[in-house]
Amino acid sequence: MSKKNQLAAIHHSGRPYIIYKTKRGFDLYTNFSKKIILNNKNISSFLKKKNKRRMKNTDLFIGFFGYELLNNLINVKIPRQKNSNFPKGIFYKPEKIINFTNNLTYKNFSKVKKNNFKININKESYIKIFSKFKKKIKSGKTYQIKICTKYKTKSKIDPLEFFSRLSKTNLAPEAFMIRDKNYSVVSCSPENLITKKGLDISTKPIAGTVKKTKILNRTKALNYFKKNLKENKEHNMIVDMERNDLSRICKVGSVKLSKQKIVEEYKDLFHYVSLIKGRLKKNVKNIDIIKAMMPGGSVIGCPKISTLNLLNGQEKENRNIYTGSFGYIKFNGDMRFNIIIRSILNYKNISEISVASGVVVDSNVNHEFNENYIKAKALIDLFK
Amino acid sequence: MIYIIDHKDSFTHNVVHQFSLFDKVECDNYYEIDKSKIKKASVIVFSPGPGAPKDYPTTSKIYKENRGKKKIIGICLGFQQILFSEGAKIVEQKKIYHGFQSNIKVISDKSLFKKGKVFKVGRYHSLKLQEPFQIENFDITMRCLESKVAMSFENNKDKIYGFQFHPESFLTLNGNVLIKKILSA
Repeated sequence: MSKKNQLAAIHHSGRPYIIYKTKRGFDLYTNFSKKIILNNKNISSFLKKKNKRRMKNTDLFIGFFGYELLNNLINVKIPRQKNSNFPKGIFYKPEKIINFTNNLTYKNFSKVKKNNFKININKESYIKIFSKFKKKIKSGKTYQIKICTKYKTKSKIDPLEFFSRLSKTNLAPEAFMIRDKNYSVVSCSPENLITKKGLDISTKPIAGTVKKTKILNRTKALNYFKKNLKENKEHNMIVDMERNDLSRICKVGSVKLSKQKIVEEYKDLFHYVSLIKGRLKKNVKNIDIIKAMMPGGSVIGCPKISTLNLLNGQEKENRNIYTGSFGYIKFNGDMRFNIIIRSILNYKNISEISVASGVVVDSNVNHEFNENYIKAKALIDLFK
Repeated sequence: MIYIIDHKDSFTHNVVHQFSLFDKVECDNYYEIDKSKIKKASVIVFSPGPGAPKDYPTTSKIYKENRGKKKIIGICLGFQQILFSEGAKIVEQKKIYHGFQSNIKVISDKSLFKKGKVFKVGRYHSLKLQEPFQIENFDITMRCLESKVAMSFENNKDKIYGFQFHPESFLTLNGNVLIKKILSA
C-alpha cells in the first residue's frame, strides 16, 4: 500500500493517531496501547515515573500539557473560569510509527459549512484590558504581557483535510495534528520550546513576525527587525528570560546564545528568532526541566510569574491547549516540545482558535487588536 | 558564599550564573528566605524583580540588619530597594526602558571604575531614583549618557553597591568584569 493510501486508511479506520512535523517530513504515531489523561494530581507522578530504557522508536509518550496544568505545576493559581471541560493534558503510548518523507496529501470532498466565528473579547473590552496592562507596565509589575483572545464557531471539521491544506500553505517546523475519538487538534506551531538530547538542551524563541511581500526579501526583513526598536526590545526581553529559564537547570557557564536574532523564512512570513543552548546539570529530572521552561515565556510575557498572575486575574475563559506544549518524552529521557499556538481545537462540535499579541510600553491598541485578527485569520480562512 | 534573594523575577537565574563564576551561590525565593544562609553569607545580593521597593518589606529589613556588616549588592529593583531603604524616593519615569541597550558613563572619581569609561548595558526598568538625592557615603557613579538617569551607586566605605541596569543581560558587554571588580572590592 502506498504511503498516501496508508494515511487515508488509518484516517478512515477511526483509530486515534498523531502527526508531528520532522526535519524531512512527518511522523505518524498510532496503535496507542495507553492513553493517560492528566490532571493536577497525577501530572507529577506521570513525569517522575521511570520507564524501562528500551531501544525501540515507539518507546515514548506523545501528547500535550494544557495551559492550566502548567500553571498549576509551578504553583500559579487560576481563578474559576468559563470551561468546556476539555482534558487538561493527554499523553499516548504509540506502538507504531510511520515516517512520511513527502508532503501529506489528503482530500475530503465533503464541504465544510460556512462558519461564523465569534470573538470572546470585543474591541471595547480589549481597549480596557490593554490600558489596564499598560498602567501595570508603567508601575513595573510587568514588562511585557500578551492578551489572549479566542475565536469560536460551531462546526464539524475533518482534521486531516485541514492539516493537509495547512501544511501546503504553512509548513511550520513544529506543526502537529491529533485525531482522537472525541476531539482533534490541527496546529501549525512554528516554535520549539525544548529540544533535549542526553544532557544537551536548547530552546528557540520567536519574537517578531513580518509578512512576506514581493519586495520584502530576507535581507530586507532583517533590516526591518534591526531598525524596529519595539520588536528588538520585545525580543531582547524574551532572550534574557529564556536564558534565565535554562540557567535554572543548566551548568554554570554553559548557557549560550548560539544564534542571536536571526531571520527565518517561511512560506508567507519571516520570523525573528534566537537559539539558546545549555548543558543540563547532572541531577536534573524531566519534571524540573518542564517546570523551569513551561509555559513558554515568549507567549506569556515577562517576568513570567507576575505576568501569569496578571493574565489569570483578567481572563474569563480557560485557554485549554493554547500556550500549553505538545511533544514527546522518550523512555531514555530525551524530549521535544513546542509551544501550542496557531492551532484549532475541535471539541464537542466547536472549533476554537486562540491568539495573543504583546503589550509593551509603546504598543498601539489598534495595531495589536488587528495583529490578533491577522493571526487568527490564517486559520479561520481554512473554514472557507 | 553569596546569598541571592530572588524577587520573583525572570532574570534572577542569569544573576545566579554570573555570580557563580566567582564564588559559591545560594538563591532563595523572597517568600522562602533562609536566615541561616544570610548569616553564613559574605555577600548578599538583591535580585531584579517586578513592582516597587515598597512591595518587598522583608528585603528592606534584611538590608538594614546587615548594612555595614556584609557586602550588599542590588540589581535593578535591588538597586532601588537599597536606596529606598536609605530614604530615597523611587518614582515612575516618562520614558520606560525594557529590553533597551544604552551607553552609560562613569561620572565619579570615587568609583571603582575609571572615570569617563563608557559601558554598553541592558536595561529593564519602569522606575528610577528621584533626584536630587543625598545620603552620606553613597555616590552616584554612573549615568545614562542620553537620559542622565542614575545607573549605579557605590558606597565604598560600607561596601554597598547597586546597578540600575542588568550586568547579567546578554545586552551588557563585559558584565562579568563589572561583577568581578565589585566582588573583589
